[in-house]
Amino acid sequence: MAHVVLKDLVKTYGSFHAVNHVSLTVNDGEFVALVGPSGCGKTTTLNLVAGLIPVTSGDIMIGDRIVNDLDPKDRDIAMVFQNYALYPQKSVYKNLAFPLQMRKLTKEEIDRKVRDAARVLDMTHLLERKPRELSGGQQQRVALGRALVRDPAVFLMDEPLSNLDAKLRVQMRSEIKRFHQDLNATIIYVTHDQLEAVTMADRMAVMNGGFLQQYDAPAEVFANPVNMFVASFVGSPAMSLVPLEASGSGDTAALTSAEGWTLPLSAENARKVARATSRKIVLGARHSTIRLHKSAEPGAIPAKVYTVEPTGDITFVQAFLSGSIVNISVPASVHVSPDEMIWLEFDQARIHLFDGETEMALKAA
Amino acid sequence: MSTTSETLAPRRGRRRIDGWRWAGRVFLLLMIIYTAAPMAWMLLTSIKSGFAAMQFPPQWWPEEPTLASYAKLLDPQNSVGADFLRFFWNSLFVSTMTTILAVVVAVPAAYAFSRFSFPGRKFLFFAVLLRNMFPAVIFLVPLFILMRVLGLVNTHGSLILTYLTFGLPLAIWLLKGFYDNIPVQLEQAARIDGATRFQAFLLIVMPLSVPGIIATAIYSFIAAWNEYIYAYTFLSKNDQLTLPVGIQRFFSENTTDFPGLMAASFLMSVPVVVLFLVLQRYFVRALTEGAVKH
Amino acid sequence: MTTASGRAEPSRTSKPAEPGALRLIWQHRVDYAYVLPSIVVMMIVIAYPIYYTIDLSFFKTPPSLQLRDKIFVGMENYGAILQSDVFWRVTWNTVVWTVASTVIAFALGFGAALALHRDFIGRGVLRAILIIPWVISAVAASYIWKWIYHSDFGVIGAVLVELGITSRPPNFIDNVNTVLPALIVVNIWREFPFAMIMLMAGLQTVPDQLLRAAKVDGANAWQRFWHVTFPHLRNVSTVTILLLAVANFNSFIIPWIMTGGGPSNASHIWITHIYELAFGRQRWGVASAYSVLLFLILMTLGYFYVRALGGNESKDRGT
Repeated sequence: MAHVVLKDLVKTYGSFHAVNHVSLTVNDGEFVALVGPSGCGKTTTLNLVAGLIPVTSGDIMIGDRIVNDLDPKDRDIAMVFQNYALYPQKSVYKNLAFPLQMRKLTKEEIDRKVRDAARVLDMTHLLERKPRELSGGQQQRVALGRALVRDPAVFLMDEPLSNLDAKLRVQMRSEIKRFHQDLNATIIYVTHDQLEAVTMADRMAVMNGGFLQQYDAPAEVFANPVNMFVASFVGSPAMSLVPLEASGSGDTAALTSAEGWTLPLSAENARKVARATSRKIVLGARHSTIRLHKSAEPGAIPAKVYTVEPTGDITFVQAFLSGSIVNISVPASVHVSPDEMIWLEFDQARIHLFDGETEMALKAA
Repeated sequence: MSTTSETLAPRRGRRRIDGWRWAGRVFLLLMIIYTAAPMAWMLLTSIKSGFAAMQFPPQWWPEEPTLASYAKLLDPQNSVGADFLRFFWNSLFVSTMTTILAVVVAVPAAYAFSRFSFPGRKFLFFAVLLRNMFPAVIFLVPLFILMRVLGLVNTHGSLILTYLTFGLPLAIWLLKGFYDNIPVQLEQAARIDGATRFQAFLLIVMPLSVPGIIATAIYSFIAAWNEYIYAYTFLSKNDQLTLPVGIQRFFSENTTDFPGLMAASFLMSVPVVVLFLVLQRYFVRALTEGAVKH
Repeated sequence: MTTASGRAEPSRTSKPAEPGALRLIWQHRVDYAYVLPSIVVMMIVIAYPIYYTIDLSFFKTPPSLQLRDKIFVGMENYGAILQSDVFWRVTWNTVVWTVASTVIAFALGFGAALALHRDFIGRGVLRAILIIPWVISAVAASYIWKWIYHSDFGVIGAVLVELGITSRPPNFIDNVNTVLPALIVVNIWREFPFAMIMLMAGLQTVPDQLLRAAKVDGANAWQRFWHVTFPHLRNVSTVTILLLAVANFNSFIIPWIMTGGGPSNASHIWITHIYELAFGRQRWGVASAYSVLLFLILMTLGYFYVRALGGNESKDRGT
């Protein structure tokens, strides 16, 4: 196993910048998820690490080597593809054996390693099958097996679960996590599904527009998103964002809506607002931090129910607040109906404030 | 919805579909007659004697069927047979060589067109396609002179070289269609698994493109086998002729031997038709692969 | 509100210089190696002949093709062509031949593809039979039909007499009025299977869901065909028609073998005429000028061909 360092990595296609000055370090044995919407540069980054496309500028280090100019075969990596990329003309056994043959191992060694990997992944009975005779989950497992036999320094995974159905995805998610723990493997995992990143990764790198937005442990990214993009991308349902206007100054600052109401801020939040570049402030709050009242309360602000989605133990309410939609979760025992007026109370310690101009999170000091 | 309309609607629909289906069957029958009758008449004529063929009204069914024409054409002792077998052999040689060369040259080119993005790639590809648009006649005079300069007139080399000009663009096009359908991730996986780019091509892509190569090969072979205009222009020595030109020569010497001509036409068609029938699936797929994708 | 793109690291905007074309070509030098053999062959057998034809079209050449003796005549060859009566006759023949062959072959192929689309017993056999004419050599086809059209012993004439439609077998080939249609029938015989194959493959790509949706929406068989199937086949149809048109425009074998362009030029089309000028009468310069004109027409067709294909050639894989 080895660590991976990306130093100021850039990839351009003509004038299009697919990857923009990305720097990050993946520690030995760490599971890092690259996550972002499609076109954010996450797969390009992975392909750069794999050596499938040449780097425009910057450095990639695997272990202590700079691998920029090395062929994929010489980088000591293994990769699992979204469509599994199993060799269709080869049996499962031969698929697993191929990377070992390429490394000129003896027949006996190959056989031993293939059978070991098959045993670990519980697919000894599938060895003589062709890939097309396998189910999606089995193919996925063979793809993992082919990565595993090699005992590489780094595992690269490109959306390995996105072709599976929902139930299988949850099951494979825990299997991959298990795989990581047992092998203590260094894994770089690309996904567009923030839930996969949050549940599996030690650290997640959120990307957008080719830029690395935030790189931290999932809990930290969840709790302290650095900007509005990360705030709205991580977490489900997404964090609600409401553009408002700052009013007052010093410790008595408040947020004012065009609808006429005013939300007073705590002293700490007021200090954050004071640091904004303009008076435009975006209020962010996760569904679980907002309290819903059916009648007016001091400090609560009025909103109008848009839709109600019962999910069993909790009910999600979407409401109009100052022209934006806000998600609130309430116990199933609370009943509201569309177009009803409700009052929302925000937890001052857990709201997020963003600069309306730069979209960056506002910090107290 | 009332029950009457529910039961009526499907019945009316079915009757109308039946009308279409019957029209389709009648049309198909007429097309089969149009297609098969000339071939049937060729076979029937080929087993008549020369005298029996030249009758009016014709013998609809040969009264004394004979294989004499075939025996004559396939008998190496006979001068006609010797010629015919030589032509057959020449055609086989030229077509096979063309096919092998076309595939060998087209495989890397088609792969490159499918996979790499290099400057001018698109332009080159369309240049390849455009070649298909130009008739042999445009190339005939200059190529004839070129062959004279190269000393290739009256050699099979001249034919093989020119057949490549029409075989190659098409071969590249057909093969590219196949390579496009092989996921690029397979090669990426192979390269990560320790293969060089070339090994990935050789060990992973090549085995998968075998159907494409077969289809391309059949296509090249049939095109070369049936080619007439270059062979007619470049070859004048009797022992070099290929079948299409040879048959023409044969006919101009025996203007009334229609059974012989029909037998020769039949024998000439046998290899390509058999090839086509056996490998039909690949062939049809190759032809449509490039054009039908959306 | 979600686009924070670039905001995280706004300070760094310096990009590496755009790579020059030469550098790009150098970077991809290995890729060219795959294409090089094809390019070399093409240069020899395509680029050179085209250049040569254009060059020769400005010269008067001796029949011997001893090119030292050629005389520069400028546009004279072109003038001679446009003034000759044969030119207009042959051009009209070519238009009739190309349009009729293409339209009818396409229509018959389309009909056959539709009729064969539904699965039934013996479908594979019928399909194979229908394709055979396209596989066999045009030379063989020409001789088969020449025998069928034979003025004394032809089977079509005999059938017509037998049915009492005519008293004597008609002479299709040696008649100025019937020769071209007779040859077009042969040409279509060989070409409709091509349209059929292309359209059969096209039909398979028509999504069943759309047809079912149309059925649910109350469309009858004809409306389903016209509003769903037919628009879906537009791409394939365009390519097929263009390929047929080009092939027909470039036909040589059938008219050459069956009639040699006769009687009195009634079945000469451009290609056979050029061939006769060059190799029959050794008027190389005029033949080259003809070729250049042909070339220009085909380039125009080619433009549409590439545009039609361009729609399919849009996806770009790069590694």
